[in-house]
Amino acid sequence: MKSLTGKTLLAIATLTYLFMWVPAIMVIVFSFSNDKLGVRWEGFTLRWYSEIFSNVAVRDAFGMSLTVAVITVVVSTAVGTLAAYGLYKYKFRGREALRMSLLLPIIMPAVITGGALLVFFTRVLNVPLGYPSILIAHISFGTPLAIFIILGRMARIDWSLEEASADLGADRLTTWRKITIPVLLPAIIASAILIFPWSFGDFTITFFVAGAGDTTLPIYVFSALRFGETAAINAISTIFVALPVAFLLLMGFYKRKK
Amino acid sequence: MFLRERIRELLAKYPYLPSVGPVSIWVILFVIAPLGVILYFSFLTTGDFGVILHIFTLENYLAMARSTVVEVFLRTLLFSTAISMLCLLLGYPLAYFIVMYGGRWKILLVFLVVLPEWTSYLIRLYALRSIVRSGGLINSVLLSLGLISSPLPLLYNPFTVVVGLVYGYLPLMVLPLYASLEGLDPSLLEASGDLGATPFRRFFTVTLPLTKGGVLAGILLTFIPAIGDWLVPLLMGGPGTLMVGNLVFLHFIDVGNIPAGSAIGMALTVIILLMLYFCIRAGGKEATERII
Amino acid sequence: MENSEGTPCVELRNVVKGFPGVTAVDHVSLKVEQGKIFSLLGPSGCGKTTTLRLVAGFETLDEGDVLIDNKVVNDIPAHKRNCSTVFQTLALFPHMTVEENIAYGLERRKFPKDEIKNRVGEALELMQLSGMGKRRPSQLSGGQRQRVALARSLVLRPRILLLDEPLASLDRKLRKEMQTEVRQIQQEVGITFLYVTHDQKEALSISDTIAVMGKGRLEQVGTPNEIYETPRTMFIADFMGATNIFLGKAITSGSREVQLESEDGLRVIATKNKDIRNEEIAGISVHPERIEVLPEGTDLEADNKFRGKIAEMNYQGDFTEVKICLNHVDRFITVHLSNEPGQNARFSLGEGVLLCWSRHSSNILIG
Repeated sequence: MKSLTGKTLLAIATLTYLFMWVPAIMVIVFSFSNDKLGVRWEGFTLRWYSEIFSNVAVRDAFGMSLTVAVITVVVSTAVGTLAAYGLYKYKFRGREALRMSLLLPIIMPAVITGGALLVFFTRVLNVPLGYPSILIAHISFGTPLAIFIILGRMARIDWSLEEASADLGADRLTTWRKITIPVLLPAIIASAILIFPWSFGDFTITFFVAGAGDTTLPIYVFSALRFGETAAINAISTIFVALPVAFLLLMGFYKRKK
Repeated sequence: MFLRERIRELLAKYPYLPSVGPVSIWVILFVIAPLGVILYFSFLTTGDFGVILHIFTLENYLAMARSTVVEVFLRTLLFSTAISMLCLLLGYPLAYFIVMYGGRWKILLVFLVVLPEWTSYLIRLYALRSIVRSGGLINSVLLSLGLISSPLPLLYNPFTVVVGLVYGYLPLMVLPLYASLEGLDPSLLEASGDLGATPFRRFFTVTLPLTKGGVLAGILLTFIPAIGDWLVPLLMGGPGTLMVGNLVFLHFIDVGNIPAGSAIGMALTVIILLMLYFCIRAGGKEATERII
Repeated sequence: MENSEGTPCVELRNVVKGFPGVTAVDHVSLKVEQGKIFSLLGPSGCGKTTTLRLVAGFETLDEGDVLIDNKVVNDIPAHKRNCSTVFQTLALFPHMTVEENIAYGLERRKFPKDEIKNRVGEALELMQLSGMGKRRPSQLSGGQRQRVALARSLVLRPRILLLDEPLASLDRKLRKEMQTEVRQIQQEVGITFLYVTHDQKEALSISDTIAVMGKGRLEQVGTPNEIYETPRTMFIADFMGATNIFLGKAITSGSREVQLESEDGLRVIATKNKDIRNEEIAGISVHPERIEVLPEGTDLEADNKFRGKIAEMNYQGDFTEVKICLNHVDRFITVHLSNEPGQNARFSLGEGVLLCWSRHSSNILIG
């Protein structure tokens, strides 16, 4: 980093990274601090973690977030892969319209989507608020995400692979199973990696469409926030940061195995 | 087996049905219909006890012309423009740094930027708030250094909201910029240097124009979520920092005036769609491709 | 599947296939003989690949019939036809090993596991790929990947092997080696090959029969010798590299010879080996290697004699390409002078020379 430009950029970059990460790092650090308010360092402890792990409400909320996220990922990637395939390979009337509408969940602000779905579920379609409404809302966001990621990859695939498979005697279904999906797998996994944390950590849309008694982990945190910071919330927050890091490490191991 | 034959015929004529059909139904049912419902509701009104009366009226839209509402809209647009620009000013150097000076650490550096996006937005704001509040890190440090005598009320003002928004959306600016810069043909930069351009000049005449698509995408990706944001004002703002998103929440959940909330939501939607339309016109296909 | 003597392995009858705005295959009829290499040759866009894909079953035809072993296969989908394709991109499955790639077709046919193992082993040996079985395509060289693609198709013992410019991505040296290999493999295995290429040299070196296509139509079908020595039309002659083409009016004085009065007033003589009427507009092509170059003052009897000055000389290794500008006429003749020691007198730029060739070296072009 010899040049002046380089040094300046390094400085700006470092400051920006600090800006992005210091809050999170502080929260993680103080989650191990023996201070109930989680704002000072009073010695190392793991009690907040044991507290939240033994807290039934927290466990239930965690369970709900996890369940919703897993189902969302599975459905979104499945439907998304199929849809991306159809969008890429076939020309049909309404193709552009479908593409554009798939953008909507991604670009619309969460308050509007949340509000719209809430009204729709309670006054038009009568969907029970709870797992059904939350799952529908999450899948409505995850599927377009999966579609666009997979579409992006599809442009770089050699599609004569499918023809070769047919040429060698495989019918459509077998080709799909043995060739198409495996080749698309990196993109499918990539979308899963993006959808899971989004679904697990979503607050606004979930808050709108959740029923009175349903608590996902973000909703739990939000309610707890009303009472101010606590180290317990710090501990829960650390989980949220730990998750994607765990994913990354998993990905790293997976890559290294190859 | 008549059914089988019919299915086969249908598949031959419309081969895209099994793949695209389910999604289309889902989109119509759970994306377009709810928005349509909101549009419909925005023209209704409420009666006693908050019951919704199915009478056509423009009162919700007219109500938005009130100065208080207009103020919120203007504030929202102002904030969003400001943070978009701030994100660009911070994000471009960062992306440039990663691409040009990152070397083997490029991927890691990009991940460090993107990782926050994978945690919960609510949690990130909570973390920021913890630091900024009177008992938080910033004040503690300043106090212990003796620079101030009592904690600064950093929270609950517009400045903090802007900082919060930048904090929240910066990663979304860096990604498309990184992609754009990474895709630059290095021989172009070499060629311009070869022809006698100083690095400064080179940046403005070669690099910047070539990354126009990334810049546009980044601006869109920060501006649009920002104008719909409600969590930053809620957690870190005060009475004078209300944004449109908060209004929508207020009407939908707190007050229970769905028609009014719908109208505001519709207005916001229109603003977003207009912005998208103009940006696509200005940036062309490249910008949309970057986003998608 | 019995094939009686003389029944073509593949036959196309008046096949038409169009895409929006263009007729890719325009009333093509041809017969591919069993056990030989049949090439479809032509420039890009001539319809050769579409024709191949029609035989494979990847495209459906608009009119006409495709027959494999005398059976109409128009409505039989690709995965049920008894032919196998080697793609231009090779289309090796990247997530499978070489063995798995080769075994793929056999597995689809539900061959028993040990049979598959045997056949795959045989194929690896035949293609000199023993030991590479567990590798992935990305770990192989260009030539090795070619051979895996061939093995994968051949292991199924199809009635016909379809090859779509399989050597296009290889560098020149490798391509020449693979051309010889392809021919050897075909002779060993005895399967009919339908080969698509745009490279005339490649077609000439490996084919038993060549079908030249242009703009969706079949221009000429014949042996490599026929196509090279006696191209029927101007298009074919030009495509095959005959750089000396005279256009003009044909004058048939006797029944044995034809004189062409070219537009620029030259008289070129050819033997009459094609049906041509007097006064018909036609052309004559002469291959560069058939023209003799002699010092200007040489006195010699020849059917075709022209004088000119050497304008360009390009060394090409085993021969030198020489362009001579004819006297009195704005025309260049291209001649290939062999560089073998003692072959030709040394010439230099600007020198005046005499060009001559016999009537048998002139080839009449119609259309």
